[in-house]
Amino acid sequence: MNYLLHILVMIGIYLILTQSLNLVMGYTGLLSVCHAAFYGIGAYASTLLMTSWGVNFFVALIASIVISMLLSFVVSIPTLRLRGDYFVLGTLGFQAIIFGIMYNWISFTRGPYGIPGIPSPSLFGFVFDSPSSYVSLTTAFALLTVGFVYLITSSQFGRVLKTIREDEIASQAIGKDPLFFKTTSFALGAGVAAIAGSLYAGYMRYIDPTSFTIAESLFLITILAIGGSGNIKGPIVGTVILVVLPEVLRFLQIPDTVAPNIRMMLYALALILLVIYRPRGLAGEYGFE
Amino acid sequence: MDLSRRTDNVPTLEVKHLSRFFGGVAAVNNVSIAFTPQRITALIGPNGAGKTTLFNLIGGYIAPTSGAILLGTGDLTTRKPWEIARLGIGRLFQDVRVFGKLTTLENIVVAFPNQVGEMFWQPIFQRAQMMKMERPNIERAQALLEFVTLADKANTVAENLSFGQQKLLAIARLLAMDAKILLLDEPASGVHPAVLDSVMDLMSRLVDQGKTIIFIEHNISVVLELAHWVYVLDDSEVVAFGLPDEVIHDRVTREAYLGV
Ligand SMILES: Nc1ncnc2c1ncn2[C@@H]1O[C@H](COP(=O)(O)OP(=O)(O)OP(=O)(O)O)[C@@H](O)[C@H]1O
Ligand SMILES: [Mg+2]
Repeated sequence: MNYLLHILVMIGIYLILTQSLNLVMGYTGLLSVCHAAFYGIGAYASTLLMTSWGVNFFVALIASIVISMLLSFVVSIPTLRLRGDYFVLGTLGFQAIIFGIMYNWISFTRGPYGIPGIPSPSLFGFVFDSPSSYVSLTTAFALLTVGFVYLITSSQFGRVLKTIREDEIASQAIGKDPLFFKTTSFALGAGVAAIAGSLYAGYMRYIDPTSFTIAESLFLITILAIGGSGNIKGPIVGTVILVVLPEVLRFLQIPDTVAPNIRMMLYALALILLVIYRPRGLAGEYGFE
Repeated sequence: MDLSRRTDNVPTLEVKHLSRFFGGVAAVNNVSIAFTPQRITALIGPNGAGKTTLFNLIGGYIAPTSGAILLGTGDLTTRKPWEIARLGIGRLFQDVRVFGKLTTLENIVVAFPNQVGEMFWQPIFQRAQMMKMERPNIERAQALLEFVTLADKANTVAENLSFGQQKLLAIARLLAMDAKILLLDEPASGVHPAVLDSVMDLMSRLVDQGKTIIFIEHNISVVLELAHWVYVLDDSEVVAFGLPDEVIHDRVTREAYLGV
């Protein structure tokens, strides 16, 4: 039972991560390899605020959103006015720097030792410390995120993001400022990813840098590539499949020593088949070139 | 949108001593033209003459090496493309550039300026107001599609339209953004003959409504039929200008352009 609840919590957290990346990649067409960095910024910012300052989880959550959005401008403002490849490189560098800070700035983040003893979220005296209460928390935030992404993309804002994805020059030709919309979309994606990070920290009650690596960023991109992006259902399909798949492998009693390898092979196989037969993923609108 | 309304007080678009060099080679060299408002001006000349580069300069996509671009009393020389578009200068690209994965209707609706819902917080906090605007916008878009003879394609994804239909869509998009001055880069080329008639008919209807049209064209009969005034560019410079039949029968033009 608790095992099932754990999977539901992880699906909730990953839905938040993939829907926010969907905004950036699927709708706006920006290839970002630092989404796990914003996830980590959310986790560390909330954790440090809670453990060092005794701030309430929900206050820390909001602060971490703001911090993550502000840090997104460090990448977006210098690189988004340049050609697309510079942005990708910028996100790569940002991912490396944030990981470096989490790993090496030991007096601030405890580096590889990680931070234990993170308090469970509490609201008006209610403490979310059981798996069942945490499922309701992550599910509520996942639904909020899906609703938020749905609302803002089913609008002129969403249409303009898609014009930038389709043809940035033509988007300018109809009077839209791509720099403004790309910066906004990237900041919103960063802010929402921080929610996932805060929820992860409050759930695990221990964080260390290994959860927020570039491999994690690439995993999120894989989810979108398999499930699809540029609409709401693609990332949901991808998240459910890729969060549940490792558990299925475990259920099949494949030994832990080979399971990760089998998993990677299955991802690779799935990606190859999709590129050939369904470049837009299982349920997406937008295909990566 | 009243499609039969005439536009008044259209400012003159003017380029003055405009030059652009690429690595020491002139693509546009010392070009000065004042485009007559509410008329059709054609730009003709051989491949590589600098016609598209002139449009890129006017649209703000590339910066001039020297010279100025003026709209009425305003200076456009250092403006960004989207600012120039908002000032009413619309561009049909030589390679069209519709938004491929959006439907024909969405391609139009997205181009309407000043919509509630364009800022990300509006779809959440002003959703009722946004939805109220959405319906008339869709109706206006339908009317524009009808105007360009694409009404039956409203829900077709733009990448599935023929090249000619994409040109009609791109022109409708210019009307949606309420462009007063239309820069059309080869509107007739690569278009099926039946669609060509629609394109030409559309251009004359637009100028009747008070739009200013500047178009680049290789097809001489299209120029003769539509243009009120012609400029000939060759090797980055204006080599001749005048009334269409005079220019086209002029010796210099025939040597430079028609090669006879
Ligand atoms: N971005 C650029 N970089 C370098 N050279 C360029 C660039 N854009 C245009 N040119 C050069 O400028 C010259 C004019 O090109 P342009 O595209 O304006 O010609 P055109 O008159 O539109 O020709 P066509 O009828 O074939 O469309 C060409 O020699 C072209 O190679
Ligand atoms: Mg050209």
